[in-house]
Amino acid sequence: MENTTIVETHGLTKRYGSGVLAVDSVAMSVRRGEVYGFLGPNGAGKTTTLRMLVGLIRPTSGTATVAGHTPGDPHGLARVGSLIESSAFYPYLSGRANLRVVADLAGVDQKRVNEVLDVVELSSRAHRKFGTYSTGMKQRLGVAAALLKDPDLLILDEPTNGLDPQGMAEMRRLIKDIGQGNRTVLLSSHLLGEVEQICDRVGVISNGKLVRESTVQELIGEEGVLVRAQPLDKAEQMLATLFGNDAISRQDGALHLKVKPEQSSEINRRLVGAGIGVSELRPFERSLEEVFFQLTGERQGS
Amino acid sequence: MIATIKAEWRKNRFRPAFLISSGLVAAVVVLVFMTNWYQATHPGQSDRPIPLAMLFPDQFVNDVMGAGFPLGAAMAIVLGAIVAGSEYSWGTLKTLFTQGPGRLTTWSGRIVVFTAWMAILSAILFAVGAACSVLIVTVNNHAIVWPAVADIAKGFGAMWLILTVNGMLGIAIAVLVRQSAAAIGIGVVYLLSIEIIAVRFIDGLNNGSYKWIGNLFLGQNATALIGHLSNAKGVTISAEQSLIVLFAWLAAMLVIAAGLQRVRDVT
Ligand SMILES: Nc1ncnc2c1ncn2[C@@H]1O[C@H](COP(=O)(O)OP(=O)(O)OP(=O)(O)O)[C@@H](O)[C@H]1O
Ligand SMILES: [Mg+2]
Repeated sequence: MENTTIVETHGLTKRYGSGVLAVDSVAMSVRRGEVYGFLGPNGAGKTTTLRMLVGLIRPTSGTATVAGHTPGDPHGLARVGSLIESSAFYPYLSGRANLRVVADLAGVDQKRVNEVLDVVELSSRAHRKFGTYSTGMKQRLGVAAALLKDPDLLILDEPTNGLDPQGMAEMRRLIKDIGQGNRTVLLSSHLLGEVEQICDRVGVISNGKLVRESTVQELIGEEGVLVRAQPLDKAEQMLATLFGNDAISRQDGALHLKVKPEQSSEINRRLVGAGIGVSELRPFERSLEEVFFQLTGERQGS
Repeated sequence: MIATIKAEWRKNRFRPAFLISSGLVAAVVVLVFMTNWYQATHPGQSDRPIPLAMLFPDQFVNDVMGAGFPLGAAMAIVLGAIVAGSEYSWGTLKTLFTQGPGRLTTWSGRIVVFTAWMAILSAILFAVGAACSVLIVTVNNHAIVWPAVADIAKGFGAMWLILTVNGMLGIAIAVLVRQSAAAIGIGVVYLLSIEIIAVRFIDGLNNGSYKWIGNLFLGQNATALIGHLSNAKGVTISAEQSLIVLFAWLAAMLVIAAGLQRVRDVT
């Protein structure tokens, strides 16, 4: 077990002093070497969960194992780099000096400082005071600090928050690079595209509850075929006899068939043969967005 | 522990608050010497004449301690409140606490470096005070006579203790309220006014039968310790008690602040 999962929680629950039940019985498992997307809308409990995993806050109940130790244990923390919420450093110190402070605390060689500055491409600005950094530079310095320990597990809480599209793209590329090899990345986000692009598996959290945990592929579900035809009822009846009722659903005036796209031509032939006019016939993939809104009960476009 | 001390030192050595406060304590000492010098040479204008010889090097330890409390102590409270409180406003506490060393280890490093800073501040107070007294004695054409080394050492130790206890009060309040601004306000108002009013009230109760409670306050004992070292008259608290009470305050503030840091959620 311990070799395959790097984060494992059981019934992890946090009720803040204010009475808010922010995280409710979360059982998640992150496997070694993967990039895990922790997905959820604003206020779902992502940050709260991650804070518990690094020992910043204590769970109200439940347990967690992170890198083989209880959260906050010095031996565990030595293997875990994290950037929770926004990056926080001393504004009167330069980026480099801030990393030196962190390096001292983390017990890593000061040589690492320049290495990680290179990785996040901040070397040319490293002499400037943190207080003068832009949001993007601050986030990159946060990632650099998290990388200092050369951690087995990197926990990044919405690292693209506040970045412009170009900054986001760069950050994603960086995370992809970082996540290669044996390193595990646990990335929280409410940006579906981001998660779809870089994550192997996802956990979806909504209202403090982990509502789904699976690979991105599984989450999106099997592929299918979309059919628009006239008359629709007749087409539906006919396809039901061919593929069974379970394989068909009607959405927005079209039929969704859970069949392989290769069967499209056969479907077309049959429908046309029965005198049904086919206006659209194409393979479709559910977007992660659809699944997400379905799982979290969030309205689209809100 | 060594690592956290290193990190804290790296963090604080060029910190504006420390550099400014070093300059301020130096300025306070200069100001005290210069105003006293003026009064000593213009005796008619003051109802409390100051003998010029009070400002010569053999007396400089007493002069410096007079500047160190309460003004230096107020500065220490401000510094302590800034050091502990800014970690909350900058959110850097989470950066510190997720690196590896346990919270208490990280905390100890901070305390060690802070007490070292208080020693540096005391040294600045003494060096500037000595320089001022040399200036005054030279201008007045008297020979330079230094106090005994033991007296300088005792005075320095007392100054350091008083600054450290007050600084720790600032730290503890800042940890309690999780910010510096309110902590500075509470700490300085406590030192300069609340405690004085409280002690006066308690001492007056029931013909002074609760005076022993009044004698447990921080400022009372700091004043008493300085009084003993400068042979002042009318000090009612013994030197031993003042030392014990000051160290007890130091320990209490340390434990309270460390305990809060250890158990509280960092969000
Ligand atoms: N320090 C706190 N004290 C009290 N309640 C809090 C605290 N931090 C968060 N909460 C509450 O807990 C819930 C979960 O918040 P959390 O920050 O974990 O969400 P999130 O998924 O990270 O959201 P976002 O995407 O906006 O960052 C919210 O209802 C929030 O108001
Ligand atoms: Mg969050």
